[in-house]
Amino acid sequence: MEKVIEVCDLEFTYKQTGKKAVDRMNFSISDGEVFGFLGPSGAGKTTTQRLIIGLIRGYSGSISVMGKERSLWSKDFFEETGVAFDFPNLYLKLTAAENLRLIAAYYRKKVSDIDMLLDEVGLLQHRDQRVDSFSKGMKMRLNFVRSLMHQPRLMFFDEPTSGLDPVNAHVIKDIILRQKREGRTVFLTTHNMSVAEQLCDRVAFVVDGRIVVTGSPRSLMIEHGTRDLKVGYSENGNICEKLFDMETLGTNSDFLSVINEKKVISLHSCEASLEDIFIKLTGKRLVCE
Amino acid sequence: MRVVNAFFSDMLFMFKQGFFTVYVIVIGIYSVILSFLPDDIAPMATALTVFSDPSVLGLFFIGGVIMLEKGQGVLYVLVTTPLRSREYLLSKILALTVLALLSSFAIAVMSTHVRVNWLLFALSVALTSSFFTMCGVIISASCRNVNEYMLRMVPYMILFVLPCFSLLGFPFSWLFLAIPSVAALKLLLGAYSGISPMLAASLLLYLALLSYLLFRFTLRVFERKIVFND
Repeated sequence: MEKVIEVCDLEFTYKQTGKKAVDRMNFSISDGEVFGFLGPSGAGKTTTQRLIIGLIRGYSGSISVMGKERSLWSKDFFEETGVAFDFPNLYLKLTAAENLRLIAAYYRKKVSDIDMLLDEVGLLQHRDQRVDSFSKGMKMRLNFVRSLMHQPRLMFFDEPTSGLDPVNAHVIKDIILRQKREGRTVFLTTHNMSVAEQLCDRVAFVVDGRIVVTGSPRSLMIEHGTRDLKVGYSENGNICEKLFDMETLGTNSDFLSVINEKKVISLHSCEASLEDIFIKLTGKRLVCE
Repeated sequence: MRVVNAFFSDMLFMFKQGFFTVYVIVIGIYSVILSFLPDDIAPMATALTVFSDPSVLGLFFIGGVIMLEKGQGVLYVLVTTPLRSREYLLSKILALTVLALLSSFAIAVMSTHVRVNWLLFALSVALTSSFFTMCGVIISASCRNVNEYMLRMVPYMILFVLPCFSLLGFPFSWLFLAIPSVAALKLLLGAYSGISPMLAASLLLYLALLSYLLFRFTLRVFERKIVFND
C-alpha cells in the first residue's frame, strides 16, 4: 500500500531552549490508515505533528508526505490536508456558518455542503448563532468539522474528543471511522487510550522524542499481556476470582471444577491495556487531559 | 481569487468586531469640527486631520485585528489553509487602505469646499495607510496583547510622526522628506495647496519603492515570528 507519510531519521532541536524534541524518529503511515501517536506531555508528539504539518522548520532527516519532501511543498499542501488542533480556534463574533464559509473561501477545491456538515455534528440548529455563545463542546465540534470540509486526503487531529460528552465523542469517532472507510489517512495525537484503541489501525508510543514501540493496538495488547483467563464466580455468597493458564485450560481440574460446579459470573482474558503497555515500556504514566 | 476572498473576510471580521461603527462616529465628529473652521485654515486642518487619523488608522487597527486573531487562535488556523502569507498580508493592507480612503474622502468632502487634487489625495492616503499598516504587522508579530502593542507602537509614532512637524515651517524640511511619513504628508498638503509635478512624481515613486521593500521585510517578519515561530 502506498505510503502517505514516511519519516526517516527525523531530528529536531528547539533553538530557543536547546531541547532536542525529536530524536532519530522513524515511522511510516499507509494510505487509508488511522495512525495514533501516544505519549505523555512533552514527549515530542505535537512537535512531530507540527513538523509534518509544516508549522515548524529546520528539521534534519526526511519527512516525505504524499510522495514529496515536506520542505519542498508549497501551501498547496493544505489543499490535501485538514488540521484540527486540540483547542477550538474560531472567529468568536461570527456565526458557525460564517466561520466555515470564511475558511472554505481559501480552498480551490469545492467544499462539502455546510448545512450537511453542521448537521453531522449536531450544530445545524445553531448555524446562525454566534460562536462566542457556544459551549466548549460545540466549539470543538465546529473546529473538527471545519478540518474536513474540503475533503482532504490526509488529516491531522490533536485530541479530537477533548471536551466532548460521550455522545458527541461517539459522533466524532464515527466520522473519523467513516473517513477511514472512504480511504482517507488520519494522523491522530492523543492521550486517550480508549480513543486510540477504538480508532487506530496502528499506534506508536513516543517518549523523550523517540518511538519506543509501534504496532496494532490489538497485537500489542496481546503481546504485552499474559495468557491467563480470569474467572469470577460466586461461592457461599462471596464473589471469588481465580487465574488459569490458557494453555492448560482443558486439562486443568481446578478450572473444570469451577466451570462445572460454581456459578460463574465473569470470564476475562488478561491482555494488557494500552496504558499498561505504555507504563511498562517507558516507566512513565500517561497524563490524561 | 484567494486574496479577494481574504479581503472580504477581513472586512467582515472588522465589521463584526465593531471597528466600522467606531470609525463612523469618529468621522462624524471630525467633519463637524472641521466644518466650523474658517475657510483660510480649513484646508490645512483637513489635510492634517486626514493624515493624522484615517491615514494612520492602519497602525492602530492592524494591531487590534492581529491581536484578536492571535487571541481567538484563528491565525493558527489560517496558516494551515492554502492562503499564502503574502495574500494574508495583502488583504489586510488592502482592507485597511480601503477603509482609510473611504473615511479620508468622507472627512475631506464634508469639511471643506476648496479645490483638491483628488488623485494625489488618494495616492497619498493609500501609501501612508499601507506603510503604517505594515509597521503595525511588524510590531504585532512579537506582541502577546494589545497593551504590549500600544507600548511598542510609541517609538514608531515618534520616529514617523514627529518629523512631520518639520513641514510646518522648518527651513530644512526637505531633509526630512526621506522619512516616508513626511514624504506622504508633503503629497497630501500638495493635494490642497499645489506641488510641482516633478516633486510629486518623485515622492510617489519613492514611497512606492519603499512600500515594496517594506512589504518584503514584513513578509519575512510575519513568516519568522508568526507562521514558524522561529
